Amino acid sequence: MFDMLRELTALDGVSGDEKAVSDYIISKIEGFCEYKTDPLGNIIAFKKGRNRSVKKLLVDAHTDEVGLIITAVTSDGFLKFSAVGGIDTSVLMFRRVRIGEINGVISGKPVHLLSGDEKKKLPKADSLYIDIGASSKEEALGLVRLGDRAVITGEYTEMGGKIKAKAIDDRAGCAILISLIRSESEYDFYASFTVQEEVGLRGAKAAAFTVAPDSAIALEATTAADIAGAADSQKVCCLGEGPAVSFMDRATVYDRAYYSAALDSGIKCQPKAAVAGGNNSGSLHLSRGGVRTLAISVPCRYIHSPSCVADREDIENAGRLAVYMINGICSGNIE
Amino acid sequence: MDIKKILFELSCRDALGSVNDAAVYAGELLSRFTEIKKLGNMSVAAVFKGKNDYTLLFDAHIDQIGMIVTDVDDGGFLTVANSGGIDIRSLPARAVTVHGKEKIPAVFCATPPHLSSGETEYNDISKIKLDTGLGEKASEIVSVGDYVTFSAEPVELMGDTVTGRSFDDRAGAACLIELAGRLSGKELPCNVIILLSDAEELGMRGAVTAAFELSPDEAVAVDVSFGDGPGISDEECGKLGGGAMIGVSPVLDRALSDRLINIAEENGIKYQTEIMGGRTGTDADVIAVSRGGVKTCTVSIPLRNMHTEAEVLRLCDLESVCSLLEKYALSGGLAGV
Repeated sequence: MFDMLRELTALDGVSGDEKAVSDYIISKIEGFCEYKTDPLGNIIAFKKGRNRSVKKLLVDAHTDEVGLIITAVTSDGFLKFSAVGGIDTSVLMFRRVRIGEINGVISGKPVHLLSGDEKKKLPKADSLYIDIGASSKEEALGLVRLGDRAVITGEYTEMGGKIKAKAIDDRAGCAILISLIRSESEYDFYASFTVQEEVGLRGAKAAAFTVAPDSAIALEATTAADIAGAADSQKVCCLGEGPAVSFMDRATVYDRAYYSAALDSGIKCQPKAAVAGGNNSGSLHLSRGGVRTLAISVPCRYIHSPSCVADREDIENAGRLAVYMINGICSGNIE
Repeated sequence: MDIKKILFELSCRDALGSVNDAAVYAGELLSRFTEIKKLGNMSVAAVFKGKNDYTLLFDAHIDQIGMIVTDVDDGGFLTVANSGGIDIRSLPARAVTVHGKEKIPAVFCATPPHLSSGETEYNDISKIKLDTGLGEKASEIVSVGDYVTFSAEPVELMGDTVTGRSFDDRAGAACLIELAGRLSGKELPCNVIILLSDAEELGMRGAVTAAFELSPDEAVAVDVSFGDGPGISDEECGKLGGGAMIGVSPVLDRALSDRLINIAEENGIKYQTEIMGGRTGTDADVIAVSRGGVKTCTVSIPLRNMHTEAEVLRLCDLESVCSLLEKYALSGGLAGV
C-alpha cells in the first residue's frame, strides 16, 4: 500500500485536473471490480464480495488535491494565480511549483528589501507570482495556458515511522480504497474515487446520487495539531493514535451508531476532537433521502501543504477499521 | 564540466559551519587546475603564478545561509536560530535537512487555522518548531549546535534560467571555478588567486582573515545581487539576462570599476552597473580595508528570491561574469593599464 501511496502522492491532481490520478487508480483496480467513470470524472466501482450485503454501502475517497490555477500572465512573463482550495500564504512563498512538465517557483521580494513591518506579516497572496523563467508574456504563453493548474511540489520521504509528502489528503484514502478493492472482500460494496472535494465536495454529490447508497464511509485525511506548543485540548487528533473518527464537523453531523461502533471496534482509533473542517461526508449524507455516514480520517500534520506528515501505522489502522466497518454494516451486525 | 553542471553540483552540496561538502568539492575541482591552499575553517584558494609579483584576487564565498539547532525536545521537535538572513514567514511546512549524526529530513511546523488567532506575527524564528517525526528518538541523532539547510535540488526553468538553493554564492563560486579552468595553462601577466571564502553570511569573516593571509594588490568580489521581479523597483535591482553587474560605490575603487566597464565595452561583454551608496554587503567591504588597504570592486550576478531555496538566475549572466574576469585577468589588472 505504501508503494501505491508514494506513487499516488507523486501524481499531480489539482481539483478539476485529476486525470493522472484517476488513470493510475483504474490501472490498479482493473480486474478486481466492475467500474465506470461518470461525466465529472468520478470512478464508481462495484466490488463483489463472498456474501451479499444487507445494506448498499458506498466507500469514498477523493482524488483531488489543493493547488493553484493560472489566471493571467504579466507583460514580463510572470504568471498570476489563484489558490484552488485552502492554502495559507506562508505555504506559497518561495515554493517550487510544477505546471505539467514545466518547472517554476513562486517569487517574492527578498528579505533584505523588506521593511521591518513587512518582515513580520505575510504578504497579500495576490502580490505573489510564479516565475517559469519566461522573459515575456508571449514566451510564457508558448508553454502555459490560462486555466492550467500548478502544484506545489513536495517529495515523498520517510521520517522515522512517518511519511512526508504532498497530497496525503487524500491519496492516503485512495491508497486504502484501492487496497480494499484489490483484496478479497467478505461483502459486496460500492467504491467511489471522487473529484473536486477541495472546491466544495462536488464530485461526491454526483457519485452518491448515482450509487444511491443506504450508508457511506468517507476515507479521508484530517488536521492533526499535535505539534510543539499546542495544548492537549487543541490537538484535534494525534499521529500514532490511530485513524480519527468524526462525530461532527462543519459539514456533517455523523451517524452516532457508526461512530460508536468504530470507537468500540478494538482497532486503534481516536475521536476527532474538534468541530472543524469538513469532507465528502457533507455531500454523501445529504444525498437523495439521506445516507448514514461515517468518516475515517488519517491524522495529518501540515495538511494542505507540500509537506504533509502522517504515520504509517495510522494508515494501516484506517484500512483495518474500514474493513471492520464494511463487514459490520454489510452483515447487519452494526445497526 | 560546463558552468551549469558546476553550479548544480555545488548547489546540491552544503557548506555552513562544520558542514563543508561544497567547499571540499570546490577544492577538488580547483585542484585540477593549479595548486590550492586551505585557509581557516573551510576557505580554499587556488594560486596561479604570473610574470610579475602583482597579485589579483578574485573572491566568492562558499558558505550559505541556514539554521542552527538550539533545542531538541522530547517530542522530536527542534528549535533553531538562523545563521544568515532568512524570511521566517516562508518557513511553515517547509522541508529541510538536519545535519545531525546522519542527515535527516524535517518539516517546519505550520500552525493549523484553529490554533492561530487572527493575523500571525512572524517575528521570532524560535517560535516555529522543526518537526523531525522521530519523537523522543530525535535526541539520539540531533544535538544542539547541529546545522539545518534548505533541501531543494537545482532544476532548469525556461531557456537558460535555473532555480535552486545556495546560488548565493555558489553562482559566484561556479564562475570562479570556470575561470580557473580558462586561466589554467595560460601565461598570465600577474599572479591570480581565486579564493572561495567562508562565513560571508555571518559578516564576511572568512574574507577578513583570508585577505590578510593572501595580501593581494587588488581584488574583485563576485557575489549575487538583487534581480528584477514583481514588486521590486528598477532602481533597486539588476536585470536577469542583463549581464555582469559592475559595482560602483564610495567604498570601491572607481578606477577598477571603470577598467571593468571598459573591458566589457571593448569585448562586447554584456554588463550593467550597480550603483551603491556605501557598503556593498559583500566580501568587498572587508577586503578593501585589509592590511594597508586593497583596491577592490564587485562584480555581481542578478538573482531573484535571494536567501531562499527558490533562487533564480540566468546562466548567460554567469557567462558574462566569467568572460569579463578572464579578460581582466589576462590584461594584468590595474597594473596592466
